[in-house]
Amino acid sequence: MMTQRNAPVALIAALFALGAAMPFVLKPYHLNMLTEIILFALYAVSYNLLLGYAGLLSFGHAMFFGMGAFTVAVSLIHIPGLSIWSAIGLALAMTTAVGFVTGGLLLRHKGSYFALLTLAFNSLFYAVATKWHTITGGDDGLSVTRPDLALGFTTVSLAGIESFYAFTLVIVGAAIAFCWYFTQTAMGQTVLMMRENEERMKFLGYNTNISRLILFTFTGAVAGLAGAFYTLHFQFCSQSAISVDMTTTVLLMTFVGGTGTFWGPMLGAMVYIILQNYLSDITDRWPLFMGLIFVFMVLFIPGGLSQIIQSAGNLLAGRRGTGKPMAAKEASS
Amino acid sequence: MSDIPVFFLHGLAYAGLLFLVSAGLTLVFGMMNVLNFAHAAMYMLGAYFSYTMLQATDRFWLSLMVCPILLFVIGALIERFLLRRVHVFGHLHELLLTFGLAYIITEVVKWVWGNFPLAVNIGGFLGDTVEIIGITYPVYRIFIFVCAVLVGTVMALILYKTRLGIILRAAVNDSEMVNALGFNVPLVFMGVFAFGAALSGFAGVIAGPLLTTYPGMAHDILIDAFVVIVVGGFGSLGGAVVASFLIGELQSFGVLLFPKLSVALVYLLMAAVLIVKPSGLFGEKQ
Repeated sequence: MMTQRNAPVALIAALFALGAAMPFVLKPYHLNMLTEIILFALYAVSYNLLLGYAGLLSFGHAMFFGMGAFTVAVSLIHIPGLSIWSAIGLALAMTTAVGFVTGGLLLRHKGSYFALLTLAFNSLFYAVATKWHTITGGDDGLSVTRPDLALGFTTVSLAGIESFYAFTLVIVGAAIAFCWYFTQTAMGQTVLMMRENEERMKFLGYNTNISRLILFTFTGAVAGLAGAFYTLHFQFCSQSAISVDMTTTVLLMTFVGGTGTFWGPMLGAMVYIILQNYLSDITDRWPLFMGLIFVFMVLFIPGGLSQIIQSAGNLLAGRRGTGKPMAAKEASS
Repeated sequence: MSDIPVFFLHGLAYAGLLFLVSAGLTLVFGMMNVLNFAHAAMYMLGAYFSYTMLQATDRFWLSLMVCPILLFVIGALIERFLLRRVHVFGHLHELLLTFGLAYIITEVVKWVWGNFPLAVNIGGFLGDTVEIIGITYPVYRIFIFVCAVLVGTVMALILYKTRLGIILRAAVNDSEMVNALGFNVPLVFMGVFAFGAALSGFAGVIAGPLLTTYPGMAHDILIDAFVVIVVGGFGSLGGAVVASFLIGELQSFGVLLFPKLSVALVYLLMAAVLIVKPSGLFGEKQ
């Protein structure tokens, strides 16, 4: 009999095993898609730590994603012989710094004000990325080549999709697992309780402002890691990585997947990428369908796909669940 | 420098447009506590409706009257059948809904009118130029400024001098009490939201000939309008006036004085206000 506490660990292990088996099953085209799904899953998970866990609706998450993407691209171009680890490390350092500074400014407000400010900041980053042509390549973007992976005892070429997929699975998968671990720590629980009743947390002696800043910086760094893999995956980075559209993407993924569970956003990322790949073949209007699905969910299924799955599971097991979504809680404003 | 008056007038015209957009936004925000992300999308709808009407009838004044009415109806329907449903879930959900609507409206606009700019030409007196303070200047830009002044004055008069204004302001403070006194508060809120939509449509009709009509126009004005709200103070009509003026002139002179930095100037102003006075120049302390 598995205990409640071990169940998620077993699930993570099973997902890793499933992921490891995929290169033997899938064609390169689908393996490419799966790599994209994994990196966007991390992006969505980091976003949900803000939206679902902390109740902070940010419209500026792409500034971290894009900052990570650009840091990798720019450093690989300008520093010859830079290892892939250093490039990723730089992206993490950069997004942590940006998260800390912007968080200090943005978190002065909550609720609607916070949403509005994050959108404005995202636009600022986008404007800078577009205008600062000498560094970011402006409208043309930056092309990079994936460097080899140095493991100490041997060096692996990441040029092929199989090896890059394995690298992504291990590093990004570990990052997702770490995010899950984060939600189990005292810090992660503090964030949850702050969303439920911030006043009480303050009375209990928690400095909620600092907790929120730590969370914001952490999610920024995680999104930056996802962005770093975005550049490495496509071997290209343009200002679209830092655009408000990239924020919209992660919001749609997260909400459609469901903000009430940890794994909902990963499901959302998968559904989004698959729909994007197949619907865009059929119709140019696929963003319209995504928008309609989103509004439908906001109106009728605020817990997203994971709410449907949970309700179905409860129905099968004969249990009655509330399926209450996290984001349905009012952000204290 | 002889350019300065011209740039000042340019700034005034853009400030006028910004005020028309942000007045509706800040009104709905101040009254209903809903930050309407779809506001700029409705402004864009107004501009496209007007484009189509001008193609068909070539009467600018007519479209200036009809398009806001269309947007009023759309706004009322959105409030009645969509926004009211999610109200119980809280502000986060209202925000998500208006955001989703903005997304859909933008996609529909691209679908119906195409993903490219459409130039709007207006003939007659408004398309002409006029001689003022020694320079030849387009009448239309002055017209925008006059419209903004008129709308601002009428709004202030209604809010602070009429019985309706008293009900509105009371409903903000204590909607249950106003409801208990026999006023239909849900209807009042529907009216406010629809009026905001109509105002955005009005601004859209006016923006078309100035900025051309294109699918990115909603996003572009939304950011500037948000900055106006942050700088002026949330929900403050007077703040919107001052902030619109500041940002309009800043954009205009920014292009003249620091062409490379001009995109960042507006954000720098916003960041400065956030650091010095987080509630905005005229905002109340939260």
